[in-house]
Parts: sequence; structure tokens; C-alpha cells
Amino acid sequence: MDYDPMAMDDVESLGPVVKISQADSVRVKFELSNVEMPFANSLRRVMLAEIPTIAIDLVQIEENSSVLADEFIAHRLGLVPLHAEGIESLLYSRDCDCDEYCEHCSVKLSLHAKCTGDENMQVVARDMIPVGDRINQVLGSPVITDSEGQGPLLLKLRPGQEIKLTCIAKKGIAKEHAKWAPTSAIGYEYDPHNKLHHMDMWYETDAKTEWPPSEYADWEEPPAEGEPFDFDAVPDRFYFNVETAGNLPPDVIVNEGIKVLQQKLAGLIHELAEGEGEANGYDGPRSPEYNGGGEGWQDQGYTTPYGGGNQSSYGGAGGTTPYGTTTPYGAGQNSW
Amino acid sequence: MVAIDDGFEALLEPFYNGKKLTDPISTKEDKYQLLPAFLKVKGLVKQHIDSYNFFVNTELKEIVKANRFIKSDQEEKFWLEFTDIRVGTPTRNDYSDIKTRNDVTPMECRLRDMTYAAPVVVDIVYSRDRKKIIRKDIPLCRIPVMLKSAKCCLNSATNAEMEIMNECPLDPGGYFIIGGTEKVILIQEQLSKNRVIVEADEKTRGVSASVTSSTHERKSKTYVVLKKDRIIMQHNVLVEAIPIVIVLKALGGMSDYEIMELVAGGDARYQDDFLINFDEATKAGVYTQQQALEYIGTRVKMGGPKNRPFNMSSRRSPVEEGLDALANIIIAHVTIEGLDFYPKAIYIAMMVRRVLMASHNPKLVDDRDFVGNKRLELAGQLLSLLFEDLFKMFVSSLKGNMEHFFKKPNRTSTYDPVGPISGQGAYITMGLNRAIQSGNWTVKRFNMNRAGVTHVLSRLSYIAALGMMTRISSQFEKTRKVSGPRALQPSQWGMLCTSDTPEGEACGLVKNLALMTHITTMVEEAAVKRWVFSVGAGVEILRNFSGTEMHKPGSYIIHVNGTPYALTRYPKRFAHNFRKMRRKGFINPFVSINLSEHFSSVHIATDEGRICRPYIIVKDGKSMLKPEHLRLLQLGKASFDSFLVNGVVEYLDVNEEQDTLVALYETDITQKTTHLEIEPFTILGAVAGLIPFPHHNQSPRNTYQCAMGKQAIGAIAYNQLNRIDTLLYTLVYPQRPMVITKTIQLVHYDKLPAGQNATVAVMSYSGYDIEDALVLNKASCDRGFGRCQVFRKYAAELQKYPNGRRDRIGGKEKNEDGTVIAKHAALDDDGLAIVGYQIHSGETMIKKETPIDQSSTGIGTDRGPDEFRDASTNYRIADPAYIDKVFVSNTEKDSAIIKVQTRQTRRPELGDKFSSRHGQKGVVGIIVEQEDLPFSDAGVVPDIIMNPHGFPSRMTVGKLFECLTGKASVVHGRRDYGFGDAFRSHPVEEMGKVLIDHGFSWEGKDYLTSGITGEPHEAYIYNGPIYYQRLKHMVQDKMHSRSRGPRAILTRQPTEGRSRDGGLRLGEMERDCLIAYGASQLLLERLMISSDGTEVDICQQCGLFGYKGYCQTCKSTSQVTQMTMPYAAKLLVQELISMNVGVRLQLEDEFPHPQHA
Repeated sequence: MDYDPMAMDDVESLGPVVKISQADSVRVKFELSNVEMPFANSLRRVMLAEIPTIAIDLVQIEENSSVLADEFIAHRLGLVPLHAEGIESLLYSRDCDCDEYCEHCSVKLSLHAKCTGDENMQVVARDMIPVGDRINQVLGSPVITDSEGQGPLLLKLRPGQEIKLTCIAKKGIAKEHAKWAPTSAIGYEYDPHNKLHHMDMWYETDAKTEWPPSEYADWEEPPAEGEPFDFDAVPDRFYFNVETAGNLPPDVIVNEGIKVLQQKLAGLIHELAEGEGEANGYDGPRSPEYNGGGEGWQDQGYTTPYGGGNQSSYGGAGGTTPYGTTTPYGAGQNSW
Repeated sequence: MVAIDDGFEALLEPFYNGKKLTDPISTKEDKYQLLPAFLKVKGLVKQHIDSYNFFVNTELKEIVKANRFIKSDQEEKFWLEFTDIRVGTPTRNDYSDIKTRNDVTPMECRLRDMTYAAPVVVDIVYSRDRKKIIRKDIPLCRIPVMLKSAKCCLNSATNAEMEIMNECPLDPGGYFIIGGTEKVILIQEQLSKNRVIVEADEKTRGVSASVTSSTHERKSKTYVVLKKDRIIMQHNVLVEAIPIVIVLKALGGMSDYEIMELVAGGDARYQDDFLINFDEATKAGVYTQQQALEYIGTRVKMGGPKNRPFNMSSRRSPVEEGLDALANIIIAHVTIEGLDFYPKAIYIAMMVRRVLMASHNPKLVDDRDFVGNKRLELAGQLLSLLFEDLFKMFVSSLKGNMEHFFKKPNRTSTYDPVGPISGQGAYITMGLNRAIQSGNWTVKRFNMNRAGVTHVLSRLSYIAALGMMTRISSQFEKTRKVSGPRALQPSQWGMLCTSDTPEGEACGLVKNLALMTHITTMVEEAAVKRWVFSVGAGVEILRNFSGTEMHKPGSYIIHVNGTPYALTRYPKRFAHNFRKMRRKGFINPFVSINLSEHFSSVHIATDEGRICRPYIIVKDGKSMLKPEHLRLLQLGKASFDSFLVNGVVEYLDVNEEQDTLVALYETDITQKTTHLEIEPFTILGAVAGLIPFPHHNQSPRNTYQCAMGKQAIGAIAYNQLNRIDTLLYTLVYPQRPMVITKTIQLVHYDKLPAGQNATVAVMSYSGYDIEDALVLNKASCDRGFGRCQVFRKYAAELQKYPNGRRDRIGGKEKNEDGTVIAKHAALDDDGLAIVGYQIHSGETMIKKETPIDQSSTGIGTDRGPDEFRDASTNYRIADPAYIDKVFVSNTEKDSAIIKVQTRQTRRPELGDKFSSRHGQKGVVGIIVEQEDLPFSDAGVVPDIIMNPHGFPSRMTVGKLFECLTGKASVVHGRRDYGFGDAFRSHPVEEMGKVLIDHGFSWEGKDYLTSGITGEPHEAYIYNGPIYYQRLKHMVQDKMHSRSRGPRAILTRQPTEGRSRDGGLRLGEMERDCLIAYGASQLLLERLMISSDGTEVDICQQCGLFGYKGYCQTCKSTSQVTQMTMPYAAKLLVQELISMNVGVRLQLEDEFPHPQHA
């Protein structure tokens, strides 16, 4: 209960500080200081799961004589990273006025390959060609980083086999499906010398030799010999290592992450403020559906009609009850 | 050397595992290279193939040779002889010379539901008008062909040829295809034939020696029993036991002294014990051979051998009967030549001696469970049993046909046997097919009737199929509670896998072969017998000796296949020379020789079904395997067989193994060592060989994994997408395990894997992980972890009916407005489902229609209606699937067959079963978003979180090692680090060093941060890659619930089982709970309202059921009341009445009406 108002004031006056140690096209390493741990972790979580990007969501297969099944290929296509520059101008399909998809809410890519030679042929991401109008010239193009400029391998074709399909790439976030993830991994650590004793450094004989020091060990003062343990210390310097999957540059990911976090907080504040103005004065707990507030209240836009997590991939649509269908003619429970 | 692509090339390559040609070879490290060389020639499924080849090439000819003559009883001059029999290459059944290609591939047989069989042709010679007619290549029958055998088209096919035939080059072969299904003849374990087994009966304190004689003609068991100090002989053909002295007297005029000498030798103890038996003979008044034969003859069961030739007079004197029984039935495998009964007398005397010895020294009884006393029966032997029976039947029916022809008084033509041969031969074809199809092995002449000999080859995963080929099923009692046959036998070391056995009732009775085991085929005895005398001086034939010399101390009797044959004074020198000859290749390498000090005997075995394996020979404390041998092997200039004749390696069977001192490692060799193990890990089989570090696991865990490895979903074969199986599971992204073993490479599991390397964190998370439940990363599942495909077959055959009508495929049905009805939405214009269409429950896939009229003859006015009835195949599973393939072809019977294959792609869901390779299975408890999962400072997020409580009680240290080794090879990028061979020194320290070099903790633990709070976990978390298998048990196939639904017709109770949309039973114990609790209304609801409650009318006057308020018995409505009772109870009452058991129901009010009270 040793509350020191002076120290807090200092922190608030400074605000969060970012120190970038390394940045290139794939990763950015930076130190985020003068923030509390929950904030740092929120940023990490948002960068991981809630930054909108673009990925193939619908595949219309016209011809597939390859050995792989249709949904197998569709799954692979979905995981191909696409450039997401300018994604903010693209609408979510569910917010768009169109029926299914249009150029305002999707990017169309076409893939047509046939193996005419004698050797097996590789179909790569480069073979996917964006068609139709796009918001800009890069949005929705496959990310190609390898030196040959081929991009990820999609499938192989034997002589005579052919594949012809159209992909519809849509905007989405990684919470719905990992294919929309902008990052491949986010490193995050703090307190390289374990001064806060947040963990118990187990060792056999000697912790120094058995635990290789973190790369950020030089950034902070090692604990002095015999230094008393500070019970009140809280972490305030966090070391991030954001690595992109290729669809967004790493710095954009961080910026977007902050933006999404801001929007989420703004949404929360907005909803709280709205609640104050309500007439009947009841401010106890209430059902989310109360006053028809089901949607704006909890749905922050990270669900799509596509369905959530654990459904089987071909959509459990149709509402088939487990019984009823096993009787030969369904006793009229099915809707045909 | 012929270059055959069998996948072992890579292992023999000089550059293998980063080794270069110039690198020094150490016999210690590299001697495992003998293993791939061995597997090229023998081992795994080769024993099935060898056995089948032996049957087709040798045994078949022998059988025909033994039954080659047919003579007519009617026509004296006519005779027929089969001179040769040959098996061709597999052809289609509808063979025709017009077609360019009649040869058939296994894949075609699988798809078209045909039998993969080859024609068998015979050459015959017969007489016609005193001329000899020779006819060649007469088709006799068709015999199923074992895949990859000498007759199979896959034999010595290259990979490219295999591909053209749509066959997987890694498929083990060794099975049959009968009617489109793959059938395996399991290896059968039996007690050895023609060997004396001495056993002691604990209760009666009696000792008995028994021998099962097995010849081509008959199989019988003879006992020599010591009972109350007297020795008797028992046999099925004898009505009662016969005193042994009478038997010995009957066997050729020996004096009492000679008998005594033959049995007891000079040993006074045995003489004293045996003396009493002479009194038995005296009591029976038997002194001479004549009397003895008479005594036995009167006790032979009348009608003894069934197939006695009927030209012999049916009445024979007792002496003849006795002589016949002794010569041909009792101990039939010791043949009598020229009425010389002495060898048989020696044999029986030997049995008596063994009984006497065992009664003096109880240690001298035999162990039934000793692997050396067992013989394994393989496909070839079983087929030859069956074929001989069928061929004999064929011969007799051909003879019947012949007699029928010659019986005609005035024949118009001469007899031509060609047509009847092919005609009667069809029964052989049918008999063989039916036996393999059903697994019922019926051999009439042995009274053998075995069920469950064949099984459908399990194609759940590659390993399941392979494991089936090495499986041994025991003939022993499954229900008896004896532990002996089930226990691990020390002699099964290296021969039978110590881990791979099922749990439960078949535990220990079903075994599996170890990696290097080979099962012998028969070696010609005569050649070996000749070698016995030429191998060294001092060996003489036993016939020339009396009992005195035989049992003189220092004299050793040489037995060939259990029968005394020769005598020597120098057994050790003899065995040594014999082995020398074998190592030089003069004697077949599978002939074994071993000494027995206890019985002063040398045993030479040449028979089939012995279990053996190769060893490196050690001479004078030095291994005979030199680096240059391995160099030659690497260069492809030597093969395993060449080492066999060069004295580098040799095969030893279990009996000969007892005479050796085998060093496990080269460093253990001493002067006394005779052999060196090739590789210690070969004591495990192919299935147990998948486990990394099995020697660090608690043994039952390895056994569990052996059972689960067969349920793992993965790659089945390279041709998996061409197959149409009833149920086929494949993994979308199978991975080669991070940590492998040499066995994995040898059985090519790395090419057809069944699992994925998951990053596993061992920690507790969320509480949804108790009781072995797993926490899965949702993002991993999104990216394809554990994703699998399920293929299902739906087939329909369009039959033809005798009246000329046939099934047909109908068209789509339309609604009134012209649109196709919903049920037929998936159908194309041809009445079959469209490939690629998503099919839902209830929709039709094959619109087959059968004619209503199936019985009318169609002649004249006898015509039925022309309508057809719908017999379509519908999709009945709740979750939709896609049509993957539609296959239309003809069967052998020339009726059309239609197969539709559906495909589902499934991602892991809650409740799906996963398992590591260490017998640690678990179901998915929760699937968690990636951002909520813990992560390391490098951002690594686990795919699976496993609860640490799974470790202490299971003691699967191997799993920890797998994780550590895998992690080290991942961070270092060296996959050759990832070897977890059994009994290899574990590389933990090295791995720890690698981890430290890469900035990880040496013990595999990492500092993980909670994804929820952003705080680090207080403890370090052990994590790394562990190979996880997805098992076939999936929630989607088991999920079941019901509110209302179908009821059984008879009882009106809800149906049972998921497939019938059944209810969940509230059983006796549940009922007991409800009664105890007093929940009477709930009971009423469960057992009546929700089940089979019915309103019945009961007449209170007569107590019988009434109907509509009227009692038929009393002809009145006055006393009839209504009540509710279970329909099953009402049914019981009526059934009892129908059986003349009167039932009256007396009703009273539980809560009487106040007015009546």
C-alpha cells in the first residue's frame, strides 16, 4: 500500500515510448516502455488476431483434374498470403450493399493451369492473376518473396491435368480464421534479468551457464550484487519482435494494431456513454440482448456470417439434427 | 545383381546419413547395414511369399505326384496318369485367345470385385485302345495368387512398372484378392509335429510322452503314459491302453532282454522302474510277437482307417489288423520299409526312456511354450493341406465320372478325360476361393475344421496392413485361464516381438514377428541324411546297434527331424563339422543342428515352420564381419546370401540358439562367444519399431502404442486415391516424424507416415485438459493440423434374373412443375451422382431399380408386370460429403457394378482422439484461439498443450526424449540427429549442448508467457516437437442423441444403436438408482411414457385381456377396465398364453376410492 503519487505522475506525463532497434521488410524489433503490462499484451493480442487483412475466402472450381480434392486446394489457396495494402478502403462483405461479393468488398483472382509438357508441373502463387477492378494495384496480389519470384507452391500437375478456378479474396481478421493473420510470430518479453522474480529460474548447477541471456540483457542493468528485491516494481519496458507473414509491412502492423486497439476502446467508451443516457435509470447488469442491443453491444465486428471456430469446414449449414436424417426419408424434418 | 526398386537402395547407399564413400567403416557402427541387405532377401512378409512360392513350385507337384494314377475298376485296360502340374500367370477368368491381353493386375481385381488367380494346367498320359495318349496343358483349375509371389505380375516389377499397374511400390504384398477384398492368411502357431513332447501331470503325478504324427495321409497322436508305475501306450485307434511291453514285443521279435536294453540301457535305475512292465505282458499271456499282434489287433477300433481299399477283403485276422495299425497308424511318420519294425521299436523305446527319465528327474519334461517346440504354419502350408484334400476329391470324382462312362454297355466313343478334368477341376477353384474367402479351413482327411484362418487386410494405415502380415495367431484355447502360453518366453528373444500383442482376451496368444525373423520352408531330408555320414568319421546308422550300444555313456544318438537315425561317439566334432559344411553352403542354411546333453542326443531339423534369424558368426573371439564386407555391401557387390556361404552370417533356429553364446555388442565378445547380434533393436517388430526410445518407456506403454499405431490416420499407400475401399482415412498433410528409428526407414514408414509433428507444451491450461484431454491451437487447425479425409464406398450391382429381366438405372424424378425432386438433386442424367457434388442426408447416389417380376418364366402368357421398384442407394449420414468418384464396370459374372465414393474433409473437433507414439492417447478438450495460448520469447506458440499429469504414472520417458531430441534437431536443422533407436545409447547430453548453443535451455524447457495476461508463467515449460497421430475415432461418427424416433416392431420399445437412431437405454443399474432415490415419476416416464406404455383392456372377472372394452372370454363389458402397461409386458403375457401357460391379471386399487373403502 505504499502508493507513490509522484512516480505515477511521472509516467503519465511521459506517455508510451517506442524505441526501434531493428526494422526491415519482414520484422521490426522495438522496445515499448512506460506502459503497463496489460496494455503491452493487448497490443500483442490485437496484432496477432484483429488486424484486418485479405485472404481467399471463396473458390469457384471449374475444372480440377489434379490429384488433390477441391476443398484441399481451396484450403491451400486460403493460406496464401495476399498483399493487404489499402485494406482499409475495402469493405467487409457483410457491410457491403452487394448480394454476395463485388469489387468494393473483394478481389477476384483467377488461376488456370494445364500441364502440357512431359514433366510434372508446379502451380505456384504467381500463377494466380487478379482480375477485375481493384482498389489499388497491389491489394489482393499474392505475396512473393522467394528469389525465383514463384511464391508458395500450390499444387503439382501431371501431364494432361488441368486446374481452372476463380478465387474471391475477402477482408477478414485472424480471429475468424488464421489465414487472415498478418503476423507469423510475435516475440514479446520483458525484464531480461528477472529482477521482478516473475519466474523461478530453475537450474541444475548454475543459472548463468544454463540459461543463455536474452538478447535484450544489455539493454537493462543487471541486478547489482546484493541488491534488495523491490516488491513494488512493475514491468514497464517490453521488447517486441513483430514478424510479418508478408501481407502487411511490419511497421504497418504495429500502427494498425494500435489503431484497432484504439477503435475497440473507443467503441467501449461509446457504448458505456450511451448507457448513461438511458431513461429508466437501471444500470445493473443486464442481458446483452436487452433493448435489442445484441449486435452493437458485443459484436465488435470480428465475426462473419461464415461461422466461428470449431465448425467443420464445409459449414454445418442446413441445421441437420443428428437424428431425423438417419431415418430413410427424414419424416419430413428436412426442408426439401 | 538385379536392380529391384524396393526402397532399400537409399539405406545401402554409401552416402547415406551423411557418410561418404571414403569415410572409415566401423563394424560396430555400421553393421546395421546388414539389416536392409537381409530385408531385401528375407523377413517381414517374405516368409509368406517364400512359403507360397514353395507351395506353387514344389509342393503342388509333390501332391500331384502322390495322387497321379487313376485306374478304372470297370475297364481294366484304362488308366490315366498326371505327369506334371504348372501354375501360370494371373489372367482374367473370362480368358479368351482372341483378346490381346488376358493378364490382370491386382488393382483391376480390387476395383472390379474379381479374384486375383492364375490358371493351373496339368499334363496327362492315358490309354486309348492300347495306345498311350499324351495331352499337355489341360486347364485344371484356378488358384488364387499371392501378391508379389513368384507367379504375381508384381514380382520383380520396377517402380515404373508398378506405377503403370496402379500399384504402390511400398505395398508389402503377401495377401490374396478374393472377390475384390484383400485377404490375409494369418500365420498359425502350433506345437511341432513329429516331435516327442514329455509332460508331467501335476495331479496324477503321471508322466506322458506324446507325439503328433503328421504325414500326407493322416494325422494322429500317440501317447506313452506312465500311470501307477506302469507304462502304457494310448492312441485314438486303440480301444484301450496297451501295456508298452506288448507293443514292443509286437514290433519284431525282441527278447525281454533286448527290450530292456533298448529302453533302459545299462542304467539300473531305469531297469528297476521298467521291470514291472514285463509282468503286464505276462499277465495278459503275451509272450511272442504273434500273441502281441493278436492282442493289439483285437483292440483296434473296427473300421479303423475309413478309406481302406475295398478290393482288400474286409474281414482280416486280428494279427493283420494289429500289424496294419502298428505299421501305418501308430507313429505313422516313422515309415516301415520291408516290414522292418526295428526303427519304430527304437522310436517307441525312446519315448519310454524319456518318460522314465522325466519320472526320475522332473526337470527333464519339455516346455510346451518353448518357442523351439513350436512351428508356424504359413499360407503355403495351409493351401497345400487344402489343395491336397481338394485334389483327392477331384481324383475320386473324376474316377466316378469315368466309371459312369465305362458302365454304359454300348459306348459310341472312347473316353476322353480332358473335358471332365476341366469340369471337375472347377470344384478345386471353388474350394480354394471359398476357404480363403470365409476363413474356414476344412480338411476332411485330417478331420480338421478351423475357422478364422483368414482376415480382411486392414487398410486403415500402412502400418496396420504391415502389422497384419507379421501377425501370428495361436491355435490354443482363448478362454482357458492358463498364463503359460500368454507369458513372455525367454526363447522368443529376437524372434517374436516383445511388445506387439493385443490387450484383452487375445493378449499373448496373438503375437508378431520381430524384424529379422524368418520362417523356414521344408528342406529335403534325404540330402541332409547323406551328409550325416559324410560329415566326419565315427557316425554309423542306428539300425546296426542294439540298446546296449545306444545308451552307453558317451554315445550320442543323432535325430533327424525328431526320429533317431544314427549314432556317434563324437557329437561335438560332428556338430562342428556339420556347421562348417553349412557355413560353406553345402548344406542348406536353414538346416539346424543342436546338441542335448541331457538326452545324449544330436538333433538335426529340416522341417518347415521353424522360426529362425540371422547372426554374425564369431570365431576365436573375433567377429567374422569385417569392414571390407560392409564396403562390398555398400558398393552393391555383395548380398546377404553371399555372406551366408562365406561364413560371415548364419541362420539359427530357436533350438540351435540354445547351444550358442551370443554377444549383444562387439565389445562384449569373449573367447567363448560364438555369435554376435546384428542389431539389438531387431528384437522388436515392425510396429513396435515406430516408437522412439522404447527402451525408456514402461513396457505396457509400448504395447498400447502397438495397438494405436494401427488406428492412426495417415498415408495408406501411394495408390490410395485410386482405391475404392468401404472406408478409407487419409491425412491431408502427413509428416515424416522428427525423431525416427532405423526400423521406420526399413519399413518405409517415413514414406507413408501417419501423423504430424506437433509443438507440444507440457503444462496445465484451462481445466479442459484433465484426464488426458488435449488443448489444441485453433490457428494450427486452421492451417491444416490434424485435417483428414474420409472416403466411403457405396456400391450397387445390377443383377440379371433367370427370367431375362435385369436391374436398371432409372432417371431423375420430377415434381409437377417440372423441377427435379430434392431427393434426386445430386443425380446426373445417367442416374448416378455427379462427381464433385455436395451430397446431403437422404439424397440418392445410385438410382438403381429392380424389376418387380423376378420369378415368371416369360414363356407364353407367364409374364409378370413390367414395373420396376426403386432400390436406390441413398446417402444416410447427417454430415454432408462430396462425391469423389463414380466407378462403373463389370464383374466376373458379367453384371454391371457401380461404385460411388464419397469424401469428407474433417478438421479436428472437440472429442476427436489423438495419440503420441508412447501409448498416450487423449481427446481434444478445448480448442483455443492462438492469442490466448502461451508463447515463447521468440513467438513460438504450441499446437498442443498436454497436461503434465500424464507423465508420472505412465513413466513414458521416451516421450520426453523424443521431445528433446526433436527440438535439438529442429533448432540445429540436422535431421540425422533425430534417431531414437531402441537400445541405442541416448543422446540427451549431446542434445542439451545443441540446445544451449542455440540459446535454449539444455533441458528443453522454455520461458513461456501467458497469452491471456502477458505475464510469464512462473515455471519453465517443457516443450518441443512430438509426433502425434490422429486416431480413427472421431466424434462425428459417434455423436448421437434422440428425442423421438423409431421403435422396434415386436416390443414397441425404442430401437437400439446409433445406426438405427436408437434411444439411450436406462439400464438396470440406472433403474436401481432411481428406485433407491425414490424418483418414481421419473421412473414412470422413462420406462413407460417414453418407452412402450400401452393402454390395455383387462377383464377383472377373468383376468385376461379384453378388446375395446369387451371381454371375449366372459362375453361382457361389465368388469373390463383400462390400464397402462409396458407393451413388452403385454407381449410376455400373450406369449405365455400361446405356450399354454395361463396368466391372469388381478387388479386392485393402490389408492382405493373413498366410496368403496
